[in-house]
Amino acid sequence: MNFLKRAWWRLRAHVIKTLMLTGLFFVVCTLVLSGFLIQSAAARAADGAKKSVGAVVTMQLDLNALMNSGKGGTPANGQSPGLIGPNGDLHIDLVDKICKSPVVVQCNYTTQGGAAPSSDIKLYQPPGAQSSGGVGVDFFQGDGVRDLNAVQDFRNGDSKLIAGTGIGPDSPADGVVIEKRLADANHLKVGAKVHFKIGELDPALDHTKEFPYTVVGIYSSDKASATGQNVPAMLDPGNQLYFTAAGASTLLGKTGDGVVNQATFTLADPADLGRLKADATAAGADLSIFPLSINDKEYQTLVGPITKTAGFATVTVWLVSIGGTVILGLIVAFSLRERRKEMGVLLSMGEKKPRLLGQHLVEVFACAVLAIAGATAISTVLSRSVGNHMLAGEVSSAENAPKDNTPDHSNVLGASSSGSGSDTPTVTPISKLDVRVSSSDIARIGAAGLGIAAAATLIPGIAVLRLNPREILTKGD
Amino acid sequence: MTAAATDEKATKTPVLQLAGVSHSYASGGRKRIILKNVSHSFQSGRMYAVVGPSGSGKTTLLALASGLDTPVSGKVRFRGDDVAELGLGRYRNRHVATVFQNLNLLNYMTAVQNVVSAMEITGARGGRKKQRAEQILTRLGVEPVDQHRRTLQLSGGQQQRVAIARALACEVDVLFADEPTGSLDQDTATEIVTVFRALAHEEGKCVIVVTHSREVAAAADEVLRLRAGALVKG
Repeated sequence: MNFLKRAWWRLRAHVIKTLMLTGLFFVVCTLVLSGFLIQSAAARAADGAKKSVGAVVTMQLDLNALMNSGKGGTPANGQSPGLIGPNGDLHIDLVDKICKSPVVVQCNYTTQGGAAPSSDIKLYQPPGAQSSGGVGVDFFQGDGVRDLNAVQDFRNGDSKLIAGTGIGPDSPADGVVIEKRLADANHLKVGAKVHFKIGELDPALDHTKEFPYTVVGIYSSDKASATGQNVPAMLDPGNQLYFTAAGASTLLGKTGDGVVNQATFTLADPADLGRLKADATAAGADLSIFPLSINDKEYQTLVGPITKTAGFATVTVWLVSIGGTVILGLIVAFSLRERRKEMGVLLSMGEKKPRLLGQHLVEVFACAVLAIAGATAISTVLSRSVGNHMLAGEVSSAENAPKDNTPDHSNVLGASSSGSGSDTPTVTPISKLDVRVSSSDIARIGAAGLGIAAAATLIPGIAVLRLNPREILTKGD
Repeated sequence: MTAAATDEKATKTPVLQLAGVSHSYASGGRKRIILKNVSHSFQSGRMYAVVGPSGSGKTTLLALASGLDTPVSGKVRFRGDDVAELGLGRYRNRHVATVFQNLNLLNYMTAVQNVVSAMEITGARGGRKKQRAEQILTRLGVEPVDQHRRTLQLSGGQQQRVAIARALACEVDVLFADEPTGSLDQDTATEIVTVFRALAHEEGKCVIVVTHSREVAAAADEVLRLRAGALVKG
């Protein structure tokens, strides 16, 4: 262990050089550790963002893909030319299977349609309004939903259930929720039986047949009725009905388990899209006709600036590591050159070369360990300050950047994850770094610092030690 | 082989032998021959002086004999074994020590630390190395107060003593010294020569001194002269 003693004697004898080397290491380690901490904080923020907003994946018919695939309706299979045909129907049982995928944390679907009034329920006419009288507009707006509480108007408080149970995944297929104005106009209460006719314009359908439904809930909407002339009845908030998806499908003239226009699946992590696609394919979905499209705008909005900051931190870590290794390598190389004679003397006494390198490594490691300890103490403050400053700049840039006007396909009838009802994400970017020094961060900077020390010592050291002692002693300085 | 036979072989076998050693350097694109087929045997318990004009190859001879370098041809044998086969590092570590012309002390260490360090590197037997180092330094005339000062703070003569103490501490069989009295005053030089003679005659070591000094040469049991690459007696 003589080389350890020699290292200690050397460090003590050359205090100024020791302090200078420690100082240089301290600067390098502080910058590298600050970079690590910013990266860790960004990763934590990204994880948190994933958990808080997730991502919404929408599944709906791609009409062009259907037509190009040749699976659309044709005269040969009994459909009118240009109609979508049964292959364009997205069935509820398929969507329910996909909803069971373990990566789906929330599932919803909607069936947009209409319902024609019958003898026991008339359209609501606000006072002073006139029926438009036009064909195809004297319908109720009848939307099938999986969960009434997930509908945007109910989430944002514009509509409130005032009686009954609403619509849920387990609701009976014939349940309907009507608006209070309609209920009052038709003297209906929860439990009342009503009939609707098909609200689809397809002439091939039977528009005289009445289908029975039960009023399972009555809600109140804050939206006022339009009082102008020629306003279609179906646009009046009082004529908005909510069915189950199966119930709404019936009024579209569909038979069987029912169809939906669009299904949305909320994922905990946008990265789970691949798994969802695999599960959907396994469930029998043709993803070429019913593609899954992801909307992770909120996630991107949240983590965009912090990701850029982390990216800069990564570049900094690499640049400082490489630069630090080169600078330290040069310093150690010069130091080794200065100490050629010392090595020659020790070799002449029969000291082993690995121990000589070991002495230099111990000296540099000792400085590195001191520097790492100092860097650990100061990096939290530094990375928080610098990171937040950089992050503020990125957030400002993001806020001033042109908005992405890509439509949010998930944002239909409350399917959006945020419930904002707007294409623009309502979340604000993460603007504070939660910087914490963990044991893994210390381990990383330890490994990086000692790695730099080892590289800076061994690379020039090996070159010097290739000489024999006489060459070292006689080649001079 | 019996113990008696082993002892007899040890007595008769030279501790160090140069067998047809030749050495040359490439200098300015030309080959410069330094040593030509040098052969000589060195015995334990004797002090040798190697003399010769500057550039005659004295230091090269010392480097080859001490295992700092390998000859172009010929062999260096220690107790009959080729040192190249023994391993130069091991040979230097266990069997020989050198006092360099320019001392080559480790200047970040004190005098005692230099000596202790050498003892530890060469695996000198026994404990209490620090006390033994102090004893050797005292014996060589380094005052106790100077023993714990860094070597750069010592005078040239004291540094020379520390360098010799370091070599002595290694408990080796062969001690080489390259101009060991070059920077010493007459009295100190005489003391050092006395120490070398004592090492040879009292401790049975083989002491080989490269020198320009007539006094040192006169004190040696055998004087070898290097001339035109050849080593001759007297």
